[in-house]
Formats: sequence, C-alpha cells, structure tokens
Amino acid sequence: MRHAARAVLTLTLVMGAVGCGGRSQTSDASGTPASGARPAFTPVDETAAVFWDRQTTETAELLRTLVDDYNAGRPQDLLPVKLEHVGGYTDIFRKVSASIQARALPAMAVGYQSMTSEYVQAGAVVALDAFVQDPAVGFAPEDLGDFFPVVLETNRYSDFDNAMYSFPFCKSALMMFFNKKVLADAGIEAPPVTWEEFFAQCRQVKEKTGKHAYAVSVDCSTIDGFVYSMGGDVIDGQTTLFDQIASVRVFELFEALAKEELAYQISPGTYDDETALAHNEIAFMFRSSSARTSIQMLMEGDDDRWGMTRIPQADPANPRTVLYGPNICVFNTTPEQQRAAWAFIKYFTSAETGVKWALGTGYLPIRKSAAKDPQMQAFWDEWAYNRAAFDCLEFAKSEPTVAGWQEVRLLVEKAQTEVLTGIKSARQAVLDLKHKADAVLAQQ
Amino acid sequence: MRRVLPYVLLGVGTLVVTFPFVWMITTAFKTQTEATMSTLNLWPSVWQWRNFAETFRAAPFARYFFNSFLVAFTVTAAVIVTSLMAGYAFARLEFPGSRILFGLVLATMMIPFEVTLIPNFVLIRRLDWYNAYPALIVPWCANAFSIFLMRQAFLSLPSDYFDAAKVDGCGHLRFLARIAAPLVKPMVVTVGLFAFLGSYNSLLWPLVVTSEEAMRVVQVGLTVFSGAEGVRLHLLMCASAIVILPTVALYFAAQRYFLEGSIGAGIKG
Repeated sequence: MRHAARAVLTLTLVMGAVGCGGRSQTSDASGTPASGARPAFTPVDETAAVFWDRQTTETAELLRTLVDDYNAGRPQDLLPVKLEHVGGYTDIFRKVSASIQARALPAMAVGYQSMTSEYVQAGAVVALDAFVQDPAVGFAPEDLGDFFPVVLETNRYSDFDNAMYSFPFCKSALMMFFNKKVLADAGIEAPPVTWEEFFAQCRQVKEKTGKHAYAVSVDCSTIDGFVYSMGGDVIDGQTTLFDQIASVRVFELFEALAKEELAYQISPGTYDDETALAHNEIAFMFRSSSARTSIQMLMEGDDDRWGMTRIPQADPANPRTVLYGPNICVFNTTPEQQRAAWAFIKYFTSAETGVKWALGTGYLPIRKSAAKDPQMQAFWDEWAYNRAAFDCLEFAKSEPTVAGWQEVRLLVEKAQTEVLTGIKSARQAVLDLKHKADAVLAQQ
Repeated sequence: MRRVLPYVLLGVGTLVVTFPFVWMITTAFKTQTEATMSTLNLWPSVWQWRNFAETFRAAPFARYFFNSFLVAFTVTAAVIVTSLMAGYAFARLEFPGSRILFGLVLATMMIPFEVTLIPNFVLIRRLDWYNAYPALIVPWCANAFSIFLMRQAFLSLPSDYFDAAKVDGCGHLRFLARIAAPLVKPMVVTVGLFAFLGSYNSLLWPLVVTSEEAMRVVQVGLTVFSGAEGVRLHLLMCASAIVILPTVALYFAAQRYFLEGSIGAGIKG
C-alpha cells in the first residue's frame, strides 16, 4: 500500500505539472454533462463500456463470469461491458492519469477515494447522484436503504460538494487475525478485546514463547483504524487530529511494542506478516478482512489454528474500525458509455450479485439484506469467524476523502516507521506529523 | 594455495549469484505454504508438477510469448540498425553541430521514464496505436545508450581503414556495412542483447499501451499472480522460471561477444 501511495503521489504531481485543472461537472441520468462543462472524453472503445480492473486469478474469473452474465441479460440498447485487467491499483491510476491527458478514457475503473479525487480535479469523472436518484435507472428509496450507510458515505467527496463520484465495489474492514496455536502456547485462551488486553497478551506471548507477538505492516489505513478504535478521529474539516489523545495513544502503543521487542516491522509491500502468522511465528497481524482467503490458503485449510475478529477497542461497547476497499468511478465520456457503466454498477451491486461476489472473493456484501440470504448464512455457519467482518459494517468508518490525503498517508506511514525504528518518540512523531499534514491540506 | 584461493572465491561468488535462480526453480515446484516458509528448505517435500499446468491455466502465456518475441526481436533489429548508423555518424562524419547533437542525444538518458510516460502515451493515442504492435515497438527502436556504445566502438577503429576504403571509392554506407560493422561485431551483439533484454523485460509500458489480452506480453502475464491481498509465490516463481528461459539461452549463445563488447566499452556488469 505504501509503494502504491508513493507512486500515486508521484503521478499526482506529474498530473499537476502537465496542467490538468478545473473541477468535474455533474451529469444527469442520461449522462449529459451539465452546461458549461468541459467536453467529454473520448471512449477507448466506442463499441463497449470498457471496465479497467485489477482482479487476478479466481476473483478475476468470477468477475469475468459476472460480466458475461450481465452482458447476456442486458437490455439491447445498452453497450456491453468489456473487462480489462490493467495491473494493480497504482497501474490503473497511472493509466487513467495518462489517458486523461490523452483525453480518451474507459467507461469505468476501480480505484481508491484518493485516486478518484485526482480524477475529479481533472474533470474526468461524473457525479453519480443523478443516476442514483433517477426514477427510471436509479435505486428506489427502500433499495438504497438496503446499503450499509458507510459504504455509500465513503463515496461522497467533501471537497467536491459532497457529491457521489464513485460507487462501492470491493469492501472490507480492518480486522485482527490471530494464531490460536501461538496464543495457546502462551497460555492465552481468547484473543484480546481491549487494547490493554492486547498489549498484555503481546507481553505474555513474548515471555512464554520467545516469539514476536505482532508483525507490523506499516500502513496509514491501519493507523486510521486504530485511532478510530481508540475513540478518536484523524481529521476535522481540513485539520488533522494526529495530536489528539487517541492518535497519541496509537503511536505510543507502537513505541512500546517496538521498545519491548513485542512487534517487528515487515518489509514494505510484502505479505510477510501473513506467512509469519501461517507458520506460527507470530500471534497477531492486522489486515483487511479480504486477506481471509489468502490466510486460509497459507494455513492449508487448518481453520482450527487461526481466527479473525474485530480489532481491540478502547470501549468495546462502542466499537469502531476502518472500512477498506476500492470503488468504481464512471468517466466523463459519452452518455451511452455512462449509461452502460451505471447499468453494470447497478447489476453488480444488486443483492443477488453482491452475495455471489462476497462468497467468491472474501469481500463483504454491502447490503444489509445479505444477512438473510441462505447462501450467506450457510457460509457464516461454516466457520465461527466468517461473519466477523460483516458484523463490523455496522460500525466501520471510512477514511477521509479530502484532496491531499494521499500525501498525508505517506506522512503517516513515515511517522509510524520513525516510531517503530526509534528515530522519534511517539509524542514527537505525532507533533511533526500534525504539523506537516496540516500544511499539506492547507495547500489544497 | 595462491592458485586455489581465486577458485574458492569464484566458487563462492558463483554460489551467491546462482542461488536466487536455484531458489526460483525449486520454489516453482513447491506448494504455496512451503514456498512461503521462512526456513531455507531448498528442495520441495513433494515436487508439484501441476504448478506448471496451473500457471498456464492462469493466463494465455503462449500468446504472451509470441508477442514478447515478436516485439523483442523487432526492437533488437531496429536498435542495431539505428545505433550503427547514428553511432557511425557521430564517430566518423563531420557536420556542423555534431557535438551539440550528440550531447542532446546523451541528455535524453538523464530523463526518467516516468516523466515521459504520459506525453508518450498521449502521442500513442493520437497516432491511434493503442493496443497495436507499433506502440510496443516504435518508441524503443532507437536509444541513446546504444548510440553511445556504437560511437565508442567506431572511434576505436583506426581512421586509416576509412581512408583506404575512401581511396578505393567506398562510400560511407558501404564502408559501414562491409567493413566497420563486422569489425565491431562484439559491440553489435552487446547492443542487441541490451535491446532484447530491455524490450523483453519491460512491464510498465506494455501495461499502459495495451489492454487486449491478445496484445499483452509475458511480463504483464506475471502480474496475474499478485493479488491485492497476497502473492501466489509458487506460481509466480513457476511462471518466472519459464519466462527467463529465453534470456538465459540467448545470453549463453552470445556470451563470448557480450563479454568482449562489455570489456571493450568499459561497461560495468
């Protein structure tokens, strides 16, 4: 994630340097840009609504099947959807950024909010509010009410009139993964519920087994999730809150974990924490719930050896975690392309398709009605922890969508690394972070 | 003892250099769990031959190989031709501004690829080369480093050769084709190898200028084993082991010339 963020930031600067400016315009449900808008971008393919995605292996196969199903049943006046794998999220951002300059774009693409913000600034994406509310092609109020509010809210961009510039695609929540064998070896029966318990268990693991308790993957989203779970927030308007008590406690936790050698930092961009957990080398790791399938594979089906639960909390009665995952944005191309893209998004986020996608990929269903789906229920009954991430959707909170947050992410990760490596104290790190992050946001 | 020590040092060096390749090949035969073990178990407990079938099922590698070879061989041929001609011109022809022009050519080596990515992509779109072979080939048909290498090679030839050929009525083009180029064969092979490897190993450019499966190259194919939440290390190593075979074969075939050329140009390995 850190590499991705760095590359995204570099490209953002390049985009700025080559002079893309102006705000995006909204569109009506027919996809017609509002008056006074910049001319639409040319579609990369006139005959199909091209969808740039990053899924690989089995999930790519499933997405291809869903696209085929959609194309087979779509109204004939709509363009078919054409799925194209464009590499990772950073690659997609690079390609979209280059395509914006070339003024030729696909119908839609996946991306994180920070990426979409850059597209909005370049006038490349359309707001989806008109589509969502359209009586003919939008969602009925009860249908819209079926979505978890947080998955919709995360697609509203406060810097751009709070318009909805993307729609949820793959959602997951920050979870704590634990190795039962390592915990049992340390004489621990159940994973921690509070941060105090977590720290105590880390000490116990070290003392009884001699192992590190926690492999840290340096990541801003994880820090955000920890801050939320400590009862705090990371931003208020255009001002960051890294100097507030919740944030200070998070950085002090990392400082203490590092000082007592209870945790170690994994190589950036790797999944060494997952392999360490699978090989009984650590007790805890924190990752997106979508890592479940990867851990399951590494554990070779030995589901009795590990578990996945919500992250520890300052107040377990009022839990919080962070909501992850990319969204789909629709580009400002022709009305035909936009209509086709929206029709596919609507199909993809339908209750039935959402369940298929969740079951096949490990991502979370984004509708409340999924809880009543027999297939979903059967899946949750298979393993005690299968439902844990879904239950987090009620209280998960999205990350900031303000312009400049991509750069702030890098600063947060730098601060986390400085604390873990002992370069700075937690207090000094948060003060410096607050100062630099606020300066970045003030420049926007 | 004095005679043995170099062999021991070279042996250790060889082991260090070859270990990653051996690890890659043996990992290609492991299970995912075994492949991610932190212990240094080089040999798989059970050889997983099915990894190869799984690798080829994951992406159309046959098509990717065809594209990679087509692009890499065309680029190599084009780079050899352009660097021979430009290198000869900078080394042997006297024309106004030749030094400034050569300086400009060298200056292009200072510009990072990332900076030119977007302008180049815009150009490709305007030429309507998106998802087409020209996009993969044409931008790489000439490069400053190869021109520099060839210029250095031509400068090392005694000017008497050219003078003698000129007396016999030989023009520049004929001298280049018949006399100069054969004399700098090791450098031609070196330039060709660099061009081939550069083209064959490129990932970002093909990823940006193509989106159709039928136009993708092998390096892009390798990305299918890296997901958002993990890497299929055993399959990635399996695919990597297959993908590097052509480059290894090519290197061994041209090793003698490559070493001669590298030593002649003072290139550090």
